[in-house]
Amino acid sequence: MQSTDASRKARILGIGHYVPPTVFTNADLTRVMDTTEEWIEQRTGILERHFVDRDLGSSDLGVLAARDALTAAETAPEDVDLILFATLSPDVDAPATACMLQRALGVRDVPALDVRNQCSGFLYGLSVADQFVRTGAARRVLLVGAEVHSSGLDLTTRGRDVGVIFGDGAGAVVLGPEDRPDHGILSTHLHAEGRYARKLQVEVPTSLRAPRIDEEMVAGEEGRLFPKMDGRYVFRHAVTRFPEVIREALDANGLEVANIDLLIPHQANLRISQMVAATLELPEEKVFNNISRYGNTTAGSIPIALHEALLAGRIAAGDLVCLAAFGSGFTWASALIRW
Amino acid sequence: MGATAILGVGHWIPPRIVTNAELAKQLDEDGAVLAARTGIAQRHYIEPGLGPSDLALEASAPALRQAGLEANDLDFLLFATMTPDLAFPGAGCLLQEKLGVSPIGALDIRAQCAGFVFSLLVADRFVQAGTYARVLVAVAEVQSTALDFSPRGAGVTPYFGDGGAVAIVGKGTEGRGVLAGVMGTDATDYEQFWCEYPAGRQHPVRMTIENLRLGLHYPQLDLDALNPIAIKLFRKVVREVAEQGGCHADQVAHFFFNYVHPPTALEAADSMGIASSRVTATSSAAGHMGGASLPIALSQAVEAGRVGSGDVVCLAAVGAGINWGAVLLRL
Repeated sequence: MQSTDASRKARILGIGHYVPPTVFTNADLTRVMDTTEEWIEQRTGILERHFVDRDLGSSDLGVLAARDALTAAETAPEDVDLILFATLSPDVDAPATACMLQRALGVRDVPALDVRNQCSGFLYGLSVADQFVRTGAARRVLLVGAEVHSSGLDLTTRGRDVGVIFGDGAGAVVLGPEDRPDHGILSTHLHAEGRYARKLQVEVPTSLRAPRIDEEMVAGEEGRLFPKMDGRYVFRHAVTRFPEVIREALDANGLEVANIDLLIPHQANLRISQMVAATLELPEEKVFNNISRYGNTTAGSIPIALHEALLAGRIAAGDLVCLAAFGSGFTWASALIRW
Repeated sequence: MGATAILGVGHWIPPRIVTNAELAKQLDEDGAVLAARTGIAQRHYIEPGLGPSDLALEASAPALRQAGLEANDLDFLLFATMTPDLAFPGAGCLLQEKLGVSPIGALDIRAQCAGFVFSLLVADRFVQAGTYARVLVAVAEVQSTALDFSPRGAGVTPYFGDGGAVAIVGKGTEGRGVLAGVMGTDATDYEQFWCEYPAGRQHPVRMTIENLRLGLHYPQLDLDALNPIAIKLFRKVVREVAEQGGCHADQVAHFFFNYVHPPTALEAADSMGIASSRVTATSSAAGHMGGASLPIALSQAVEAGRVGSGDVVCLAAVGAGINWGAVLLRL
C-alpha cells in the first residue's frame, strides 16, 4: 500500500501508566493462604502488588494509562490511526479488549485489535506498531499493555505458587515517526516456542474440550480456570532466553552490552532479572526493576517500568534503552531504542 | 518494490457435517425454517480434542505446497482466532510447535470476524517494512465446543461452524499482491455480537457457576440490530478499498463477503449492483467460521479455478467488535 522510506523509524512520543490504588502486601497474602512474607520476598523480590477492588477490567485501567500517554504525546484520541491492546486478562471473552478501550476513549472507526502474547505481549505489540509507523501506514499508534490478574488468581494455599506473583496494572505508549536520524526504535525481535506452552498456561476456556467450559472447570478441585506454572522450568528458560534475545538485538545493530544505558526487563521475577544482569555483566544501576511494588503485571510491566524510569530521570536523550521479555508461550522478545 | 502477495492458500474443514435437520431437533426448531432463516446450508464440527492450531496445521500443508515453500522457510507466524486451544498461550505458539519450525515469532491477535483482513494487513506491514520475508497467516475457529445446544441457543448456534485456513504471504511478482487495504472498528455497540464470559472485569472472580447457568459464556448475537449496520459497512469498505486501490468495482473479478448472516451479505452486494455471480457470501456453504470463512472461501475458489492468477479479488468482512475491513488483491 503506502511507500516505504527505509530510513524512517518509529519513536515513543508519550507514555503513561496506571495501577489501581488498593495495595495487597505479602502480609495480606499470609492471611488468605499458607505462606510467609519472607518466602515470597526471597523467591520473587515482590513486597506488594495492586489489585482492583470492584468490577474493573483491563480496559478500565488501560484507558487511564492511555489518556496520560496521549496527553504526553500531544495527540487527541481521534488522531490515533491504530489501537493495539496487549493483554492475557481480557475484559470479556469476545470481542477484543481493544474494542472496550476504543469505546472508553470515545472514538470511532479507528481499527482496534488485541495482541495476545502474554508476558511478551507489549513487545509484540511494539513490533506491530513499529511496522505500521515505519512504513507510513500509521502516524499515531496507541499501544496499551494492561492486566487485571486478580479476578483470575487462586488466592488460596492451592494456588499460592502462582497467586503471589501477579498484580494488576496498565501502561500505554503512543508511537509516531522519529525525525532525528539514528534515534527511535532501532529494531524488535520476536520468538515463540510452543512445545513449552503447558509450562505456563491458563487452560480454560479450551476449545479442545466439549463444552469448552463447564461447572467442573469453574468450581472443581483442579481449579482449571487458574494459571498453572512450572516455576523452575520457566526460570531456567528465562535466564537463557533473556540474555540471548538481548544479544540478538545488540548484534543486529552492531552494538555491545556495554552500550546499553538502561535495560528494562519484563518484571517477571526479581531473581530472574538479577541473574540476567549477572549473565550479561550489566551493573545494577543499568537495570530497572520495580517488581517489589507491583508484582508481575505481564503485558503492563514494561510500559509501567519504562514510565517510572523516565519519571525517575534514569533515561536521558540519546540513551540506548533495551526492553526485553520472556514468558508464557514460551514467547520472548526484545527491542532497542535510541531515546 | 513489490506488493505483499498471497503466495499460497489452503484450508481445512473437518469432515463431520451437521445438517439443519439434525441441529433443529436439538434446538427445538424446524430444519427448513432454520435453513431459510439463516441462509446456511450446513456446517462442519470437529471431533472433540482438536483445536484451531490443529485445523491450521492441516491447512498449512497445501498452502506451503502452493507457495513452493517448506515450513522451515517461514520467518514469522500470525494467528487470529476467537476460540483458542487454551485461554493462553495462544494458538500461534501451538502452531509453531506443530509445524516443527525453529522458535520464530508467533503473533496471536484478536480481531473476530475481520481476523483475516486484519492479520493479512498486519502481515503486509511486516513484509513491506522488510522485517520478515515469508509470513504464515492462520485463521481458524473451533466454535462447536462453545455453543448452546439447548433451545435457548436457537438464535445463534445454527450460524457457526468449525474450520481453518492458512495463507503464506511475501513479496510477489510485479503487479501481484495487495493493491489496497482498509480496516476499522466501531465499538459503540459491541454487545450486539459478543461473548461475555469469562470476564476479567468481573470482581472478584471472572466466572461463576451462576454465570454459567445463565448461559453468559455463549455467544450472543442481535442480528436485527447488526444487519442494517453490516450493509452500510460493506458499502463503505468496498467504496474505500476501491478508491484506495484506484480500481472500479467492475474490474474486480470476484467479491468475498464475510458476515455471519449470508442473506445480509448478499443484500449488501446487491445494493451495490454487484451481480450475484460475482460475490460469495462466505458463510453460506459451511456456516460462519469467524474470520476463517473468508480465506476458506478464497482457497476453495482458487482450488476450483473460479479465480486465478491475475484476477483482482475483494475480500471484505464485517463482524464482532464491530470490526470491518477489506483487501483488494491481485492474485
